Amino acid sequence: MYKYIIKRLALLLPVLIGVSFIVFTIMYFTPGDPAQIILGENATEEALANLREEMGLNDSFFVQYSRFIINAVQGDFGRSYQSNRVVFDEIFSRFPATLQLAGIGVLLSVLIGIPVGVISATKQYSFFDNTTMVFALIGVSMPNFWQGLMLIMLFSVWLGILPSGGYGDWTYFILPAITLGTSSAGSIARMTRSSMLEVIRQDYIRTARAKGVLEKNVVYKHALKNALIPIITVVGLQFGYLLGGAVLTETVFSWPGIGRLLVDSIKQKDTPMVQGLVVFIAVTFSIVNLCIDILYSYVDPRIKSQYK
Amino acid sequence: MKTTRFISIALALALSASLFTGCSNSSSSSGSSTGSQGIKEEIVIAQNSDAKSLDLQASNDGGSLNVNAQIYDTLVVKNADGTFSPHLAKSWEQVSDLVWQFKLEEGVKFHNGEELKASDVKFTFERGLTSTISYMLDFIDSVDVVDEYTFNLNLKFPYAPILSNLSYTSTGILNEKAVTEAGEDYGQNPIGTGAYMFSNWKAGDSIELVAFEDYFKGAAPTKKLKYRSIPENTSRSIALETGEVDIAYDIDPVDKETIRSNDQLVLIEAPSLQVDYVGFNMQKEPFTDVRVRQAINYAIDREGIISAVLLGGGEVATTPISPKVTMSNPDIVGYPRDVEKAKELLKEAGYENGFQTTIWTNDNSVRTRIAQIVQANLKEIGIDVAIETLEWSSYLDRTSNGEHDMFILGWTATTGDPDGAMYVLFHGSSSATAGNKFFYSNDEVSELLDLGRAETDDAKRQEYYYKAQELVVEDAPLAALYYANDCAGISAKVDGFVLSPSKSHKLYGVTCAI
Repeated sequence: MYKYIIKRLALLLPVLIGVSFIVFTIMYFTPGDPAQIILGENATEEALANLREEMGLNDSFFVQYSRFIINAVQGDFGRSYQSNRVVFDEIFSRFPATLQLAGIGVLLSVLIGIPVGVISATKQYSFFDNTTMVFALIGVSMPNFWQGLMLIMLFSVWLGILPSGGYGDWTYFILPAITLGTSSAGSIARMTRSSMLEVIRQDYIRTARAKGVLEKNVVYKHALKNALIPIITVVGLQFGYLLGGAVLTETVFSWPGIGRLLVDSIKQKDTPMVQGLVVFIAVTFSIVNLCIDILYSYVDPRIKSQYK
Repeated sequence: MKTTRFISIALALALSASLFTGCSNSSSSSGSSTGSQGIKEEIVIAQNSDAKSLDLQASNDGGSLNVNAQIYDTLVVKNADGTFSPHLAKSWEQVSDLVWQFKLEEGVKFHNGEELKASDVKFTFERGLTSTISYMLDFIDSVDVVDEYTFNLNLKFPYAPILSNLSYTSTGILNEKAVTEAGEDYGQNPIGTGAYMFSNWKAGDSIELVAFEDYFKGAAPTKKLKYRSIPENTSRSIALETGEVDIAYDIDPVDKETIRSNDQLVLIEAPSLQVDYVGFNMQKEPFTDVRVRQAINYAIDREGIISAVLLGGGEVATTPISPKVTMSNPDIVGYPRDVEKAKELLKEAGYENGFQTTIWTNDNSVRTRIAQIVQANLKEIGIDVAIETLEWSSYLDRTSNGEHDMFILGWTATTGDPDGAMYVLFHGSSSATAGNKFFYSNDEVSELLDLGRAETDDAKRQEYYYKAQELVVEDAPLAALYYANDCAGISAKVDGFVLSPSKSHKLYGVTCAI
């Protein structure tokens, strides 16, 4: 198992080099002059030329990329063109907000999605099943941006009980977490339902029932446990995706997460910040995926033997 | 059974809610905190972007300027009537064409306890000359410290708008020791002489300032300022409506009516120093022909743009200088909409059947809507315009390289002086990178702009700038569209707030009743 984890972590290195190469190439070949971004629109030609020289922007693509990689392996991603802050200082100052929102959003979606999916599956085509699946579909289809604004209208403007945006105490988490949680809950509920439906038709479930096992135990111990693998995959993907920042939700709720930072940095061609963020997001996504793989082995011990 | 399940879910939710409380280390909105004289201790301000850097010389964006305007002071301040009052400099005199002498107020303290000295001014301007804001100071050749509180500015060339530049927020005075000690991290540890000191910065969320008790004009009555970054226009207006913020800048035209109709709020609208325009690349056919440029000028429905896009929040532009800038020529009529005349001009230029071209804009919703209206207007005279939307950095880069046909941009004459409004845009020596993306060059205009820059006699200056504007309007390197209003929404309890046309609003003396 440990060997497997080490192997997976080692595989991360070529992935990161590949990711950084792609991002560097894209940023290099898109129009936009970093010197002008730093010095502003009113900079003189002379000042621009000096800064380009100083930053090594006149060097060839490969010289620049090699310099970037040499610095990056030493943990130095440079400073943001925009704020002149050390790239990872800025990322780490904003990542907690993203992590908290993603964590609470996913927790909420799991707490809603799994029970709803299980009940829907066990009572297929019942009123509950039909109603919740309609809501699940609405949850999945509703644009986060619009949903966020509607929640703000209701809870902040009309009822006046929750803040409309910003980052503060627990009250600030409720609306963005609901916005993120409901759309993920929809996917999770639908996945749980279909996975459960597949499992409860298996022979071993019939056997369990024939042995007189309590229905509760049949559903939660035998069926759900076996249906969990695809559900964990969906939850993990949702979490990994949210860790990369939920840009629209962050924008509507003025949430200082890394999604907004990434979009702003791309718009301003802040290459060091974009590089740092993309590498960071790739690492978090890979780690979440690895955690999911490890989790599989606990849910289904048969999988453990495959991890070599 | 069902009840038990419901309770267990409810408990789980309650547990997760209790977790939320442990997730944050910040306090809730301090809207209810109060000061001693029936005023709030803290005023919360919403702006559309976070500051990039609080190093005054490393940033020139609105988000940074608004905060920096509280932290730093300038040598002089510009009054609403265009005159100047002493500030950090208690007096000044022009010793010769190229030398200005300034005397500093004595006993002015920086936030770190250091006293303001002439050496700080020398350090500030010398550092500024190689920084983002060098264009504001590039008339300075050197700074001589005469004594602790006196210094001479030696100019490269006679420069009339010197006081306008020295009153602009970006030319505020830094403390040499603080900048040197903080090194590359100065942008997160600013020290000025201003009414408010930097306290805390949560990147992407908010910046907090506290009143500087030793401020040389007396401590500010409001003890704390909190600048919140709320990028989404609607969210900013909503935060104002719900009372989470007391002042919101950059109100979107569509939200104005909501604020106006709310008796708890006040909408402040005032003409700005900005002009928005459609520019032409004069290096490219058919924009090399003045008749084509004039035809487009006649074809554009400026009033339609103002009513449809700005919902009335602007004034039709006749010259490329806003009337808020001194020496804007009021006698110029510009190009009132006249489709027939436009068609005639096109015919004269040999484009009776029109032509195909593109108009570039960055991804800014107002500009995109303008592009659509211009596209429809030009269709009427047979010009087939394709709209291309570019992201900001490539927009600047590619227009500087002259790859464009037509483009939409705005220009703010931040110092309120015609030199700042015209030189960079229309002087033949000005590069496209700086602002002359029309590649416009008219020797007479360049000469007038040089004369205006050096002339200290206001009547003569006015004559030069009036003439220069006439020539630019006639040559039509651009179609000036409108002078946009600046807009802010404030709580009706806020007192003393004045919208600054240069977009860096000072909040010293502003209070908010409980």
